[in-house]
Amino acid sequence: MCATSAPPSGFIRKFWPSNDRIATDSRNNGIDFCNSYTSMNQKLARGVKIQCGESSASFLAAFLQCPSRIPRIGLYTGLGTSHSWLWFVDLFDRMFFHDVVFLDEGMVRSGMLKDLDVFAMSGGDTIRIAEGLGAEGANQLERFIRQGGVYVGSCAGAYLPLKSSKQYLDRFNFVDIKIANLAKTVPTIKQLGRKATTAYGCDYVYHPVREEVKLRSTASGPFFGVGHFVAPLYGGPSMLAGDASEILARYDGFTKKTMFLVDETLAEKTLINNVAAARSKLGNGALYLFGPHFEHPYFPIANHLVATAIFWDMKQSNVSGKSDVDEIILDGPDKKKFVHDIKREISNARIVSVGLETTSIRWTIGCKIYEPEKIRVFLEAIWKRLGRLERLSRLKVSNQILEQVTPCAIEVTRILREVKSRLGDRLETQGIAPSLFDSLRRLTMLCLQTYFNSLLLDN
Amino acid sequence: MDYLSSNKILIVNLESGEITEDELDDELVSNRIGGVGVTSFLYDTYKDKDPIVLGTGLLTGTLFPGSALGIISAKSPKTGEIAHSPFTLKAGMELKFTGFDYVVVLGQAGKPVFLWLHDGVADIQDASEIWGSDVWKTTDHIRRGMGDDLIQTLAIGPAAESGSELAQICINYWGSGDCWGFGKLFGEKNLKAIALRGMGLLEISEPEDFVDQCFEIFENINKGSFQGKAGIQDIFSAMGENDASEWLLPSVHRNSACYNTPYPTNTFLYLDEDPKTVAEPAAPEPGFLVTDPCALLELKRCGLSAKEAGSVMRACARYGINPTAVAEFCARSGEKSMENIEKSLKDLKGTISIPDCGRFSCWAPGKPLFSNFDVSDTSEYGVWWKRRQAVAYIFGVHPIFANMAPELSEELMLQMVNKGTGLELDQEILDKVIEDVCN
Repeated sequence: MCATSAPPSGFIRKFWPSNDRIATDSRNNGIDFCNSYTSMNQKLARGVKIQCGESSASFLAAFLQCPSRIPRIGLYTGLGTSHSWLWFVDLFDRMFFHDVVFLDEGMVRSGMLKDLDVFAMSGGDTIRIAEGLGAEGANQLERFIRQGGVYVGSCAGAYLPLKSSKQYLDRFNFVDIKIANLAKTVPTIKQLGRKATTAYGCDYVYHPVREEVKLRSTASGPFFGVGHFVAPLYGGPSMLAGDASEILARYDGFTKKTMFLVDETLAEKTLINNVAAARSKLGNGALYLFGPHFEHPYFPIANHLVATAIFWDMKQSNVSGKSDVDEIILDGPDKKKFVHDIKREISNARIVSVGLETTSIRWTIGCKIYEPEKIRVFLEAIWKRLGRLERLSRLKVSNQILEQVTPCAIEVTRILREVKSRLGDRLETQGIAPSLFDSLRRLTMLCLQTYFNSLLLDN
Repeated sequence: MDYLSSNKILIVNLESGEITEDELDDELVSNRIGGVGVTSFLYDTYKDKDPIVLGTGLLTGTLFPGSALGIISAKSPKTGEIAHSPFTLKAGMELKFTGFDYVVVLGQAGKPVFLWLHDGVADIQDASEIWGSDVWKTTDHIRRGMGDDLIQTLAIGPAAESGSELAQICINYWGSGDCWGFGKLFGEKNLKAIALRGMGLLEISEPEDFVDQCFEIFENINKGSFQGKAGIQDIFSAMGENDASEWLLPSVHRNSACYNTPYPTNTFLYLDEDPKTVAEPAAPEPGFLVTDPCALLELKRCGLSAKEAGSVMRACARYGINPTAVAEFCARSGEKSMENIEKSLKDLKGTISIPDCGRFSCWAPGKPLFSNFDVSDTSEYGVWWKRRQAVAYIFGVHPIFANMAPELSEELMLQMVNKGTGLELDQEILDKVIEDVCN
């Protein structure tokens, strides 16, 4: 979809919140963004045509070419990701972006991006992500964008396509943006040392702050009408944009919730007025790069900007249909048993993982630190959706998921129990931690794929 | 039932392996309230199939003071009639949070099994590996196997497996209020244990009012007659057994309360190390948590020292046998040697007396504690005690604590249940349920 450069002025008064309202209260400015997107996406999913300016169809449709269908979104859940892709899941779930495909590195390499409108990449270990995707993944990603796809990257997902000469990353030089939080030597770290810096070739990427930061929209493109807002920064980039990129938002300041990992002066120098969000064109498509996690569920304005970005550059033409050949509809006792089997193992795994949270164990996977609390983030993402799966009369499940999900859940429980047992015996657990998180990621992906497929079916 | 309930009755047939669930009807609750009111009903419903029924009260697991109680109802091998046994510590609360209000266990498993209840899921698990193990090893095995030290177990030991009517269902590592030989029923069903863990939540009809009032009651009750008192030693004093209190004190390491119970009714005795030590013990388990004051008192009466009595109770809990019954045998035989008593556990056979405590466990001392509850005539204790126990077993309140907290009146419990559930239960219904479960 090609956006106009600015909405018509009449529209602004009628449908769009003023800058002041957003600036004064970014958490609740009186506009229920979530419901607006939900309402529109539900209609789109049912094939209802949206009329521009139609109030019930959301403010969004008025100044864009009206979307003709719900966007098909691919979410990267493969090698190198942390748990933060689950924030995208929450956003997509709440706003009824239910046509979601969860993709690992192999699926990207095998060409599954071609069926998508949007490909979202959240946080994690950028180098492992790049390594996992490899040259073929980079080629597929570039082709996808050039052919009109939208790439939405936050945190590690924003680092990935930036200019880099580092091994693996050098295949993803899609935009003319550079990293500003890069140093030849490690700066003095005030706290959270292991989370504050990462080796980056001969240099170091350092993270000056964590948690909430203030951002200032440039009111450009899809960010039109938005003034100041906040979003959480957990290691994402501060960016220096070239002329070819459109700057959407800059780092503007800190809040009481900002945690400084380096001296405040250095933090200000590294962040303030540098680019926090940018849009770059590549062929017929676009890349949206967000330093902070705009998809984090506690930040509705930032969430709204993610959703707007999705529609702003979404292509009009239909993507090729996703194959349903492999998918079956489960109902009655089969459906009940399927959900119950998952519930059993998620419960078993949750029970062990709660016990692990009382330990001081930490694991290093790639360049990331994992605490036991991260385990339950995955499990809760499934657990909180099981009630909905139980209430749905039918589920849409692929044969592959049908075969794999319960064994995968059993494997997660088995590894967790082994970790617990080894900790009890004072044995090392670092060796099995990668397989634990890989299995957790895989399990979550399988369960959530079933969840989104089934919700779409139920709509 | 939408509130203070999971709305589920679990029916487990160990013979067929079939597991089904029924809803807990509002009507059933309106007629039978909960706890022993409903377990009795379920027992009657399934009595042709030799059921063991587990349940909780509507207040179990809430913030209402003393809300620790779970109940087992079954036909006692000793009396041949339905009887009720309490389980406390964290097990009553944990059952509530497994997602099942009531559990009906039917039939006999073809091989040793344990029942694993968690988050609304019931699994029959193989227990061949632990059949023959004592209670402590059984609990260790289950906790290690399931990967969680917070799992609560209702487990039997070799006594139950051998068919002894003296067998007791134990809670984790410790004794329980099972004076009815329910352990034997587990053994007959090839049911080695029921393991409980749940991370569920309870919905409350008027949550803010309910929680605020619970805190108020808690505050009020802590200013009551047991203020400054703790443990079994002070329960002995309240029973008029001052010498028992003095007898026990040198072995006391600490006192321990059951879930959300303002008075710590359990006392940990150090048997293998100095009780006055505050450092980490050298041995993994240097003592024993006494949960049954009456059994301890009976062992004292046999002439044992507190340390010896604690040691015998530890051996009883491991073997899964009722220590009160053991004390009765000792009293009969005159045996005073701790070693000999412990060695004799596996050979104990014969009948023991059935205490006059109706269908409830004689685990709770038979008189008011720390307060007279306006019962001045000791001849009225029996009637008072049975009604008080019935009320505790109906609502899910710790039965020993119920006997020391007159602030927890029947009217208050009804009021809190109504606030929590949105139902309109009244004294007339309560009186009817009490009458029914006592007779």
